[in-house]
Amino acid sequence: MTLVLNRIDDRLIHGQVVVGWGQPLDVRFIVLVDDAVAESEWEQELYRMGVPPEMEIRFHSAADAATRLDEYRMEGQPGILLTGDIATMRALVERGGVRDVNIGGIHHRAGRVQHLRYVFLSEAEQEALRELATHGALVTAQDVPAARAIPLNELLGAREDA
Amino acid sequence: MRELLPLALLGGALGLDVVCFPQMMISRPLVAATIAGAFVGDATTGILVGATLELIALATLPFGASRYPEWGSAAVVGGAIAATLQMDRAGALTIGVLAGLATAWVGGWTLVKLRQFNAWLARRQRPALDAGSRGAVAGLQIAGLTADFVRAATLTAVSYLLLFPVSYATLGVWSFGDRTSRAVVMGLAIAVAASAAWTNFHSARGARWCFAAGLAVGLLVLVAR
Amino acid sequence: MPALTWVNVFSRLLAIQGSWNYENLIGNGVGFCLEPVLRQLPGGTHGPAFKAAISRESAYFNAHPYLAAVAVGALARAELSGVPAERIERFRTALCGPLGSVGDRLVWAGWLPFCSLLALVAFGLGARPLAVLLIFLLLYNAGHLALRAWGLHVGWTRGLGVASALANPVLRQGPAHLARAAAAIAGVALPLTVAHVVPGRGSVLAVVLIAAALTAAVLVRLHGRVEGYKLALVLIALFALVSVAR
Repeated sequence: MTLVLNRIDDRLIHGQVVVGWGQPLDVRFIVLVDDAVAESEWEQELYRMGVPPEMEIRFHSAADAATRLDEYRMEGQPGILLTGDIATMRALVERGGVRDVNIGGIHHRAGRVQHLRYVFLSEAEQEALRELATHGALVTAQDVPAARAIPLNELLGAREDA
Repeated sequence: MRELLPLALLGGALGLDVVCFPQMMISRPLVAATIAGAFVGDATTGILVGATLELIALATLPFGASRYPEWGSAAVVGGAIAATLQMDRAGALTIGVLAGLATAWVGGWTLVKLRQFNAWLARRQRPALDAGSRGAVAGLQIAGLTADFVRAATLTAVSYLLLFPVSYATLGVWSFGDRTSRAVVMGLAIAVAASAAWTNFHSARGARWCFAAGLAVGLLVLVAR
Repeated sequence: MPALTWVNVFSRLLAIQGSWNYENLIGNGVGFCLEPVLRQLPGGTHGPAFKAAISRESAYFNAHPYLAAVAVGALARAELSGVPAERIERFRTALCGPLGSVGDRLVWAGWLPFCSLLALVAFGLGARPLAVLLIFLLLYNAGHLALRAWGLHVGWTRGLGVASALANPVLRQGPAHLARAAAAIAGVALPLTVAHVVPGRGSVLAVVLIAAALTAAVLVRLHGRVEGYKLALVLIALFALVSVAR
């Protein structure tokens, strides 16, 4: 098995990840890549509480993770790679060989425009996603397994009123 | 159609329970369809529809931000239609369940629209919220609760109004026997419930054996009765 | 927290999702629940501390609605203790995911199906409708209300140190125990429910159970890509069409 999902989700560990994807895909570990969380013991402690005891969680900075991903791909059990923002995932696409990117949740903030009910993007973030695609990554948006995977072009073309 | 207004109010209250208030699960199909059945004079029929929908509902987990069916109003519609049509007629359970599923699906869409409406209200109130207005906070909450009640009541009324005549006409030309009709619906409901049970529970150590042991007990009880 | 304030906050927690929306999710609900506590800030409801706190606490937040009580309690304590705004905001952000994940596993994927399946066993055994409803509602809500009350209490007493409370064995081991119990109850409930709804015995029952097992296996193999209720809707609609057309 390997990393079965490479997800951008600003909520990091939460129900859609642990239960929504984790249970049908039988996920056994999560690689959480976030520079701030990698430095913060109390935040790691909180996120550890968010996963079931039988699921492992490993914390890395973006730079650290890029060198470890091949190792995780060799694991015997399925895992999820998780970042909280596009920039971190971009580092992993460029230096860690990530080829499929799932956008699971980027929520409202000043300066962002709504594209889907769970995806809000600024101009800079739209451009960053296009760059992910030019680096060869297949970028789709999909919050839960039963939803349709929406291709990047369709995502960027979509505009919804929140 | 004297029952339309009370059913709409019931659907409004039970639909409100799904997300907004008080989430005590009076909106679960098992409860909502039984209450709706009792409302039109046949709780026993209501619970048959409710139990069938409940099995199907086991597969939908209401994660906050994802889209999921709205079972509260749906079960009111399904339970009331089946109870009014009389359960001893072949096809009544099937039609009640079908009406419930269709309403649940549309109900999921109405929840998305409600959330978009709430976001629109929140955007309009943003300056007041940023200024720390407690009136704006309470106002948004009350507006959201009211809108959800109106949404669920309207959904129940429209769905019942549209689906009851169709259901009545369909039952008049229903050709399968009662046993076959129930077997098909139950088979599907059990399949959905079993797959949900597997997906939800299989990762817990020993859960498969627990399921197998439970199944053995269930079948033994059946044989013994 | 004064008893009346506690009751006020607890009753508001029941409506925490009242203005759920895609922009700030349950953020406004958190502000709504905290408002009675924040009135105790220096200057009262017209003071700058109250207004700043209301603004901060009604921003984006996402968690399981029952376990959001933990956040409300902890944030109330932090606000009244004068914790710096930046620390509160970071803490608030970090709480979202874990409270969502733990709640979803414990309640939506554990306690709710467990109670629901137990009620279906009672239904399958022929219990009266009122008895089935009471079994479900009393059992489920005993857990539901206790969880909200515990959350508010533990959040308030531990404040920013509430992470340790999430290590509570009920939260850590509870979902796995519930999963095993619910799996066993599901095994009992499924055949009993079929037998109660489908009249007759023997071959029809066996055919229904075998067909259901095969369909369930296909659904499991699809890894959640097909929603069960939509599949049921389509297939039952087709069955109804055939019944009408033939």
